[in-house]
Amino acid sequence: MSANIVTIRSLSKIYQQGDINVTALDKISLDIASGEFLSLMGPSGSGKSTLLHIIAGIDRPTKGECRVQGIDVAKLNESQLADWRNQNVGFVFQTFNLIPVLTAYENVELPLLLTRMNRAERRKQVETALEIVGLADRAKHLPKQLSGGQEQRVAIARALVTDPALVVADEPTGNLDSHSAQEVLGVLRTLSHDAGKTVIMVTHDPKAAAFGSRQIHLEKGELSK
Amino acid sequence: MNLPSFILKNALRNKRRALLSVLSVAMSLFLLVTLQVALRELTNPINDEGSSLRIIVRNKVSLAQPLPARQLQTLDRIPGIVAVTPFSFYGGLYKGDEKFTSFAQFAIDPQRALPLISDAKGVTKEQLDAWSADRTSCILGKMTADRYGLKVGDRMQFTGQIYPCDLELKIAGIYYGTADDRNLMFHQKYLDELLGNPGTVGTWWLLAASIAEAPLVTDRINKTFANTSAEVRAESERAFVLGFVSMWANIKTLIGGISIVVVFALILVTVSTMSMAIRERFRELAILKAIGFKRRELFVLILAESFGLAMFGALIGAGGAWVLFNNINIQKMTSGMFLMFEVTPQMLGLAFAVAALLGLLSAVLPMINVARISVVQGLKTLD
Repeated sequence: MSANIVTIRSLSKIYQQGDINVTALDKISLDIASGEFLSLMGPSGSGKSTLLHIIAGIDRPTKGECRVQGIDVAKLNESQLADWRNQNVGFVFQTFNLIPVLTAYENVELPLLLTRMNRAERRKQVETALEIVGLADRAKHLPKQLSGGQEQRVAIARALVTDPALVVADEPTGNLDSHSAQEVLGVLRTLSHDAGKTVIMVTHDPKAAAFGSRQIHLEKGELSK
Repeated sequence: MNLPSFILKNALRNKRRALLSVLSVAMSLFLLVTLQVALRELTNPINDEGSSLRIIVRNKVSLAQPLPARQLQTLDRIPGIVAVTPFSFYGGLYKGDEKFTSFAQFAIDPQRALPLISDAKGVTKEQLDAWSADRTSCILGKMTADRYGLKVGDRMQFTGQIYPCDLELKIAGIYYGTADDRNLMFHQKYLDELLGNPGTVGTWWLLAASIAEAPLVTDRINKTFANTSAEVRAESERAFVLGFVSMWANIKTLIGGISIVVVFALILVTVSTMSMAIRERFRELAILKAIGFKRRELFVLILAESFGLAMFGALIGAGGAWVLFNNINIQKMTSGMFLMFEVTPQMLGLAFAVAALLGLLSAVLPMINVARISVVQGLKTLD
């Protein structure tokens, strides 16, 4: 482990629902070290996904500070955030969210279309990413031709193809059977252990959380452990 | 993969919907182009050099009022006139069983009219002589001859609708190559004889010496007959036809109205289809945003898709109209109602401009929705 990649101080997120203010996160302070595999646990509505979204730069806090690699993410404008996410964050979602009309290769290549890489450079990156997740031989398959576990591994390949420092995974095993879940969690752990990526995973499942190097719990918007 | 191929794959992801969208644009633009061509053909007379040289002289009071036949001697003395002939619209019903006059019959002086019909081909000198010699004979346009299966030597019967007399004419020759190959021309003398020599003609048809001389000639004629018992209005053949065209005003409005409705309906359909296509993809657009696509890049994806579909529709619809109307015999298909059915570059331009507008408008609503929705909101639509 090395220096902190994520530093969160007094972070609050309050949603307005009609006349009612709903506090999703209440003055959270948290440090996440570079290369760490952090499992974020908690019941539904505890604010774990909200915290993940703020760290990943797809949501903004109401109060407090969230620095990722020293950058106060909330202070970036929309366009800067988009560039920042493309270069620094890889996303893995519960429902895979691959583009159905694109092959596994093309899905993984998608984030690289926004970079200045030429076709050959992109190919090298995509092939490497697919090899890491063990799906080099499925490159030409469409999502519908893959199993759930394979789809999620393609999504992981898409998340790491730009070589981000941070990979965020929101319930990545929620839609998978136990065998596929083990495979996916194994890949995420490898990313953290072997490739030095910081992985932040939201999960309900204690077995999945156990793959992380650290577990933290959220309850009603507050860190409980 | 590159962005264009990504756009193409997105556009074709629901092939049936893409096909139906393209076809709806294509059919509507085909209809729009067809209406525009029809409007043009109905309201724009053929503008050849001859129509500027040829002059029609009619009664200043009304076209329905005849002119005195004695005006011919005066017209003959007006400088700048190469030829002048009586030109009386008979307007009879062929065979007597047709419900409307399906082609025009004009009573003229064959000898005097020769310079005016010099562009007519297919009539031999012998046939012209025979026509001149026999006052009950006529020459007939090839389109009408083909339509009714008539040939030289056949007889045609007409029931008068304007004049109180019927005609029986023998075809002396069949012509083609004029601006309107539907008309029949017969002897004014024969009409006069049947009417008891009333000493009148419908109009005068004359040929000016040159295009430069034509306006001077019309001016001279109008001045010559000013303050006489039968004042006249002389005008070029083109101006005369345009006078009729002005009576098409309601048709113009009607066709214009239909065109607007077509375009409006098309916009509604395309906007709705495109909105539906994008709404179904909100989750994907949210993911694209999450992985780094900016608003403007998503706008480009949406705009290119809707623009591409609309333009492809225009290519099929307007391009199809151009190919079709350039390769069919419209005269034959419409029994001579339309002599030409030309899709002009302006009409193609209009169709593609409408398609471009369509592509733009149908992308606006989805673009606004995509701009409004945050990644988190988009992701919430997933689960």
